[in-house]
Amino acid sequence: MSIASPINLILLSLFAVVIYLQFRPKAPVSLPKGPAPVVYRTFVPTTLLEFNGEGERGVYLAVRGRVFDVTPGKNFYGPGGPYENFAGRDASRGLAFQSFDKEMLTEDLHGPLDDLKDLEPEQVENLQSWEERFLEKYLVVGKLVAEGDPEAPKS
Amino acid sequence: MASGNSILVQLDNLVAEVFADWSTSTTIIAGALVSFLVFLFVNSKDPDIHPFLLARQSTAFFVRQPGETAGYRSLETPHGFPLRAGLNVKEPGAPKWTSGRKGDLRDIWKTAVRGPVGDDGQSTGKAGKIYTVLGRKAIEHQLDQITQEMNVIGKQLQSFKAKTVAVCLTDSVEHLATIFAGAFYGFRTIIIPHNLEPNALSTLLKKSEADVLIAEAGALDLSLVAKSNDQLSHVIWVAKLGSRHMDWNDVPADVQGRLGVSVWHELVDEKQDLEGLEVPSWEPNTPTPSVTTVWQSASGERELIEYQPENLVSAVAGLIYSMPRNQRFGSSDLVLSIDSLSRSYPLCQIMSALFQNASVALNSVAGEGVDFALATVGVSPTVIISSSSTMANYHEKFMKPHSGVLSSLARWVHSRKLDAGCMPSHGLLSQVASIGPTAELSLDKLRLLCVSHRFDADPKGRLTSAQLTDLRIFTGARVVYALTGPRVAGAISQTNVFDYRRLSGPSHFGPPLSSVEVLLTGVSESNELEGQLTVSGPAVVSGKTSLPVQARITDSNTLDLC
Repeated sequence: MSIASPINLILLSLFAVVIYLQFRPKAPVSLPKGPAPVVYRTFVPTTLLEFNGEGERGVYLAVRGRVFDVTPGKNFYGPGGPYENFAGRDASRGLAFQSFDKEMLTEDLHGPLDDLKDLEPEQVENLQSWEERFLEKYLVVGKLVAEGDPEAPKS
Repeated sequence: MASGNSILVQLDNLVAEVFADWSTSTTIIAGALVSFLVFLFVNSKDPDIHPFLLARQSTAFFVRQPGETAGYRSLETPHGFPLRAGLNVKEPGAPKWTSGRKGDLRDIWKTAVRGPVGDDGQSTGKAGKIYTVLGRKAIEHQLDQITQEMNVIGKQLQSFKAKTVAVCLTDSVEHLATIFAGAFYGFRTIIIPHNLEPNALSTLLKKSEADVLIAEAGALDLSLVAKSNDQLSHVIWVAKLGSRHMDWNDVPADVQGRLGVSVWHELVDEKQDLEGLEVPSWEPNTPTPSVTTVWQSASGERELIEYQPENLVSAVAGLIYSMPRNQRFGSSDLVLSIDSLSRSYPLCQIMSALFQNASVALNSVAGEGVDFALATVGVSPTVIISSSSTMANYHEKFMKPHSGVLSSLARWVHSRKLDAGCMPSHGLLSQVASIGPTAELSLDKLRLLCVSHRFDADPKGRLTSAQLTDLRIFTGARVVYALTGPRVAGAISQTNVFDYRRLSGPSHFGPPLSSVEVLLTGVSESNELEGQLTVSGPAVVSGKTSLPVQARITDSNTLDLC
């Protein structure tokens, strides 16, 4: 009997495969990169309007100058949701009055922001509790200034 | 049907034919194959940490400012949670769910003296000890005696009405006692490196407005220092063991009358009967004074950096919790620092060792560039704290030239183990591997090397990934590699203790500690993960600092210098 019989060859090649599997170089584990962070930016009412949930972009809304990314709550704030009027708009007055009507929005997008000076203490409190909830739940991705504000980005 | 049958029959014949050739040699081969498989199975071990945890070691915030990267944080303290600000000190018997105090240096010393205790406040072991290593011999100190010395010196300094005490000593118990006395007896401590020239020391004393200086007897020209430091009112000499018989109370003629001189061991001898061995009691949440260290940058400039106690405890907590539970210092550990206590990383690591009831060894030659082999004789430590330049030097001198066949083989076997994510054990192979470079050392018990790198240190001293692997293999110890910077107590970031990955080039510095948040500023659009290093958090003096260095975030979300 020679060593080079078929069964020996089969076993030897099996051995070689096992050894190769054991000693082959392994690349270290790498995870796919997470989504790139959103860049904080300064909005004016017209640029904020682009983020009303229609199309590819997310849903943003502003509360007292802070812009929140409410995309995770798209069912509420996006098109077709109960709060859809707020998408892409300054929602401060609406939240303070607990009202989702169109009248609550600042009509003139090129004008100054709503200064909310006429709110009753109860409404201010209301607004504050909304704001706290938003800060807990959603990310602040920018701030809202009026058009012509020194901080506003130059087109 | 018939054809199918005939194929089966043919196959059967073929198998029968093949097996008909079975012989002794076949049995041997089959036996070898089976025993190899059994060997693999028995030897297979889960990696020390899940590879995914090494693939993404810190979390980035979801929003970033223009021109900056997002903030990066340790996995322990993700965004939305507060960064680690304190030691969570609880009084014995406090309910488990209550959150503890941040603590300060007094808590660290008290915990060290008290020894390890269980949740119920019952002692579970003996308190650690402090050793001072002088050449080949180590002197053992009981913590009680050091408390007593601390009480004597603290009271004495109080009677001097000392506000700011500069300590310029080699690493020693007196050095440590002064730092803790500062917290208990209410004076600012300025830690000045001991090897400065008199003029530089004098300038630093002036700048820090120190009114008391504690220095090594005979190491300093007093008239020169006193001449330009009118605010200095007392000097306490610390005499070495061999020179205690001499009279050090002499005051140079030109400063007589305005400068008082006393000697540490004489004060202790005189007053020790008056002072107890007990740690002084204090009101929790009363503030303690700051500790100032000197940051010597590459250009030779020296900057005084005043760490508030909050910065220090935050850094100590960050360093403690950066280790998984089973790797933290414990009462069975002996932590040797061969890097000077005047630098914040070794200082905070020694504090964390004391807080975790480990024994501590201080070496009088400790510093940034010391001979690793010489500095580690005398004691048999389980943990060594060292600087990157010391380790780079040691690797260059001892490990690199060591390339015998046997140790190369052992190195290969071990590096395969490391690649699989397991730390090779101190077995026969590691004995073989360490025949050469570490044989003269007393490193049998070594389990952890803590190496720190100054952000502005000589880039030649930066350790490469391969060097870290060599250190792991030849010393048999795990390695953590930290990045330090001025105004950041402890470290900015530190590698994961289980991160054995062998990457190319200089090693990264791991994820940020849980006491800081890191972000890079001035990033370009083309390379969004490279910019100037900015560190913020409770461990940072005044909350935030920017370091003049370009850093980058690696693929595994760790910090690296460019």
